[in-house]
Amino acid sequence: MTRILDPTLRAVPPRTAARASRPPRLAGAALGLLANGKTHGMVFLERVAEYLRTRHDVGALVRVTKANPSAPARSEDAALLVAQCAAVVTAIGD
Amino acid sequence: MSDDQHPGIDVDDPWQAIETCFAQDWTDGLPVVPPTAALVERMLAGGPWRADEVLLHEPVRNRAVTAWHAAINAVMAGCRPEYFPVVGAALSAIGEPDFTLHGPATSTGGAALMVIVNGPVCEAIGLHGGGNLFGPGVRANATIGRALRLVLLNCLGCHPGVLDQSTQGWAGKYTLCFAEHEAASPWEPLHVSRGFRRTQSAVTVFAAESGHNILVHAASEPETLLTAFADAMAGLGSLSPGRSVIVLSPEHAQHLTRAGWSRARTQAWLYEHARRPLADLKRAGKIEAQFLLNAETRRWLYAHAPGGAETAPSGPDVHTRVRPGDTDVSVHRGLGPDDILICAGGGAAGGHSAFFPSWSRGRSVPFVSKEVPV
Repeated sequence: MTRILDPTLRAVPPRTAARASRPPRLAGAALGLLANGKTHGMVFLERVAEYLRTRHDVGALVRVTKANPSAPARSEDAALLVAQCAAVVTAIGD
Repeated sequence: MSDDQHPGIDVDDPWQAIETCFAQDWTDGLPVVPPTAALVERMLAGGPWRADEVLLHEPVRNRAVTAWHAAINAVMAGCRPEYFPVVGAALSAIGEPDFTLHGPATSTGGAALMVIVNGPVCEAIGLHGGGNLFGPGVRANATIGRALRLVLLNCLGCHPGVLDQSTQGWAGKYTLCFAEHEAASPWEPLHVSRGFRRTQSAVTVFAAESGHNILVHAASEPETLLTAFADAMAGLGSLSPGRSVIVLSPEHAQHLTRAGWSRARTQAWLYEHARRPLADLKRAGKIEAQFLLNAETRRWLYAHAPGGAETAPSGPDVHTRVRPGDTDVSVHRGLGPDDILICAGGGAAGGHSAFFPSWSRGRSVPFVSKEVPV
């Protein structure tokens, strides 16, 4: 019997942040739109926001477009969304 | 450490081991060397890193690849332990924040991770920069590049159709690692031009789309020879503000040596001539509306326009409608001569060089060089 080793990181505990709790209601809640920075990301998110405004009466929109689609959001952008939004929708739009 | 202290799967025989790797989706589609603890420990001992040392951190998905996991995948790829310093240096290079690995690893563009190796390590481990350097036949070339791909698949989850959304991909995604043919270069070795000493070894990584053969047999003057290079670089299929890699064949390199052309002069000539009229880009659907709203792509398109980028027009159809004067505006490949990296490689016979465009329709990612530890 020979053991072949698992080459994946499945056995390594992921270093992820805790998931935020769901906002109790969307009506009037400030909504963040985080586009990944590709060509049509914000175009798509505007449609999503329009839908959420119609269906759930969301409040103010906070729009952020990542400077680089391949990199994480800048910490100042993440801090802005945390400070101002009850929920954030993010999307890729190529 | 004994086998049962590591997560894995117990198997009865070598054939079952190979098939288990396929069943677990741990391969690139080719059989792998089943990684036992003994083999992985030997691999790890080939480099200077502790098992828990992080060689690559991918920040978007927050994945850290330790030397231990790199060694498992290097065994699977078929590397010998003496190759491991090159594997580790290349992983460290693609993990540099500027390289933004998440993009080239997952994008529809389907980039390969090109690894160009310079310095004494090439001879020491048999890395090849001569005939058929991009093709099959040399273990170090084949397995070092393959080890990177297996790390992407197994540690970063870049499985085709899942996280790797390549529209087509290309064969270089299996492996794309080669030595510079330093003796054939008209100039100092690539890594020396990038700040290393000759006695050091280094890797230079690049997110590469598929290469174009540049076939020229009847030119010897630099301007004549390089015309075909510039033409390939200006092809509409890959024209972008991104980078380029040129691998000069020894025969082509000799013409530049004989004429006394420097690296800088060659880069400048190629940048100057790898260009198309703006009208061609518009007619071919190469310009997206967003390009004119983005400062970087706007500068790229209009950098050589009379009056510069400030004179770029705006309007709803300006990216598609050919305007008077668009045939006089030249759009160059890249943003300047430094976006063209030139090295030497290939067999003694044949007028075949290669051009590799960068991944992405934007700037792509920079060339990154790292020392190979001794």
